[in-house]
Amino acid sequence: MRLAFVLSEIGSGLRRNLSMVISVILVTFVSLTFVGAAGMLQLQINQMKGYWYDKVQVAIFLCSDGSTAPGCATGPATREQEDNLRKLLQSPAVAQYVNDFQYESKTDAYKHFKEQFANSPIVDSVTPDQLPASFRINMKDPEKYEIISETFSSQAGVETVIDQRQLLERLFSAMNAASLVAVSIAGVMIICAILLIATTIRLSAFSRRRETGIMRLVGASKMVIQLPFILEGVIAAVIGAALASGTLWAVAHFFLGGVMSKQYPDTAFISPGQTLMLAPALIGLGVVLAGVSSLLTLRRYLRV
Amino acid sequence: MIRFENVTKVYDQKARPALDSINLEIDRGEFAFLVGASGSGKSTFLRLVLKEDRASSGAVYVAGQNVANISSWRVPRLRRGIGVVFQDFRLLPQKSVFANVAFAMQVIGKSRSVIRDTVPEVLKTVGLEGKENRLPHELSGGEQQRVAIARAVVNRPGILLADEPTGNLDPTTSMGIMGVLDKINQNGTTVVMATHDDDIVNEMRKRVVELKNGVIIRDEARALYTSMIPVVGQSRRLRDASGRTEQPAASSRAEARADAPAELRTAGEGQA
Ligand SMILES: Nc1ncnc2c1ncn2[C@@H]1O[C@H](COP(=O)(O)OP(=O)(O)O)[C@@H](O)[C@H]1O
Ligand SMILES: [Mg+2]
Repeated sequence: MRLAFVLSEIGSGLRRNLSMVISVILVTFVSLTFVGAAGMLQLQINQMKGYWYDKVQVAIFLCSDGSTAPGCATGPATREQEDNLRKLLQSPAVAQYVNDFQYESKTDAYKHFKEQFANSPIVDSVTPDQLPASFRINMKDPEKYEIISETFSSQAGVETVIDQRQLLERLFSAMNAASLVAVSIAGVMIICAILLIATTIRLSAFSRRRETGIMRLVGASKMVIQLPFILEGVIAAVIGAALASGTLWAVAHFFLGGVMSKQYPDTAFISPGQTLMLAPALIGLGVVLAGVSSLLTLRRYLRV
Repeated sequence: MIRFENVTKVYDQKARPALDSINLEIDRGEFAFLVGASGSGKSTFLRLVLKEDRASSGAVYVAGQNVANISSWRVPRLRRGIGVVFQDFRLLPQKSVFANVAFAMQVIGKSRSVIRDTVPEVLKTVGLEGKENRLPHELSGGEQQRVAIARAVVNRPGILLADEPTGNLDPTTSMGIMGVLDKINQNGTTVVMATHDDDIVNEMRKRVVELKNGVIIRDEARALYTSMIPVVGQSRRLRDASGRTEQPAASSRAEARADAPAELRTAGEGQA
C-alpha cells in the first residue's frame, strides 16, 4: 500500500511538473554525455597505447630523393650504406637494446601507405620513389630511444631517426587535453543540473504543500513525505543518464565503428560494447547528483 | 492526557510572549474549550501539543510523555495519536470525500482492505453516508468540515484538536459540527477546541479555559463563554474557583445566555 502510494505520488508529481522534469532530463543528459565523452577518450587512449606500444617504436628513415639532411649529402641511401646500418644494428653495442628490427623497403612503404589511405585520393599522387625506406626497431626498453638516436642520426644514408612513441604521446596528450575540456564542460553542466534539480524539487514541494502539510499532521513518516520528491529527481536524472549512455553508444557504433574505422583501418577504436561499460557509472553519477541535491533542498523547503 | 507545566512561548523577543507560564491539565476523555480573543494564544497552545513548535520554557506532556524528549523521527508517531481540524478544512480539492479520508490512512501505510472497511464507518459517524464520491467543491461548508473531522479521527487518535472549526460556518451548521465532535468525545477521544464562538460554548456547557494575552484568566467546568465568577489573575486560584462554579445555579442560567450574552456579562460582573 505504502509503495503503491509513493509510486502514485511520484506519477502525479512528474506529470504536474512536466516541463521542469524534461529540463532536468536534458541537463543531466548533456552533462553526463560530456562526462562520458571524457571517459571514452580515456578508454581510447588506453586502447591505442596497448595496441601501438608493442608495434611502433623507433624508425630510422633512410635518405630518399628529396632528402636534405647532412647524412644525405651523397643522395639516396645506397645498398652499401644500408648494409652498414644493418651491421651496426646487429653489433653487440646496439643489439643489447634491441629486441628485433625489420627493414621496410620503398615498395613495402608504398604498400602500407596504400592500405592506410585506401579511401583517399592522395594514394594516386604518390609513387614508391617518394616514400623513404626505413629500419623499424622494436626496443627492449623504449626509454632507451636516445641511444639509438645518437648512434644513427649521424650515419651516412640516414635522414632521420624518429621515436614513434613520441608522436603517439603527442596525440595522446592532445586527447588528454580534449578529455579535460570535456570534463570542465561537464563540471559546469553538472552545476546547472544540480541547481535545476534543486529548483524543480522546490517547485514541486511548493505545489504539493497542501498534501505534505496534511501528511505531516496525520503523522506520515519523513520517508513517505520526502521519498516521492527525491525519486522524482532521481528518475529524471536516470533517464538523462540513460540518454547519455545511448548517445555514447551511438557515437562508438556509427562514428567510430562506421566512419572513423574505415578512414583509419590501422587504428583500434573502442567498441560500442566498451562504451556501454560507462553506462553504470553515468547512471550512478546521475542518481547521486539528483539524490544529494534533492535531499539538501528538501531539508530547507519541506519541513517534516 | 495533555499537561502544560509553566509553559512559555516567545515568538518574538520584542513582543510579549504568545503564552506566558501556562499551567494546565486536560484529562483523558475530557472536552475542553479554549476561548479568548484573537491573538490570545489559542493556536499556539495547540501547536505546542502537536510539537509544531517548541516551548521556550516549561514542559508540555502529551499522554504522559514530555514532547521535548521526542526525537524528530518519532514525532510522526506522536501526531498519529492526535487528530487536527482547522477553520479552513484543508481538504485536497481533486480528491473525493472517500479519498480525502483514505489519504490519512494511506500515508501511514494502512492496508487497502483496512481502509475500505474503516473509511465508510467513519464517514457514517460524521454523517456523510452516501457522499463518498463527491468532490469537496460539491459539498457545503459544514459537510467539508465533517470530511476534515473524519480524516482527523480515521486513525483513532486519543486526542482531537480543533482550531476554530466552526469559524467559517453559520450557527446552525456549527451546531451540527459540535454534535459530531461531542459524539467523538463520547467515544473516548479527548477533544480540545479553540474557538471564540460564544453561542457554541454556551450551548455545550463544557470545560472552558479562557486565555488573554497568553495568560489563563479562567478555567471553569461546565461553563459559559463569559465568566460568571470574579476574574482573578492566577490560574492556580482559578482551578479552585472552577470547582465552585460546578453548581446547579449555572445550568439555570444556560437558557438565558444564547440570546443575551451581554446581559450575562453584566450579571457576572454584578456578582463581583
Ligand atoms: N509564527 C509566529 N511568529 C510570530 N508570532 C506569532 C506566530 N504565531 C503567533 N504569533 C503571535 O502569538 C500570539 C498568539 O497567536 P495565536 O496563538 O495565533 O493566537 P490565537 O490563535 O488565539 O488567535 C499573537 O500575538 C501572534 O501575533
Ligand atoms: Mg488562532
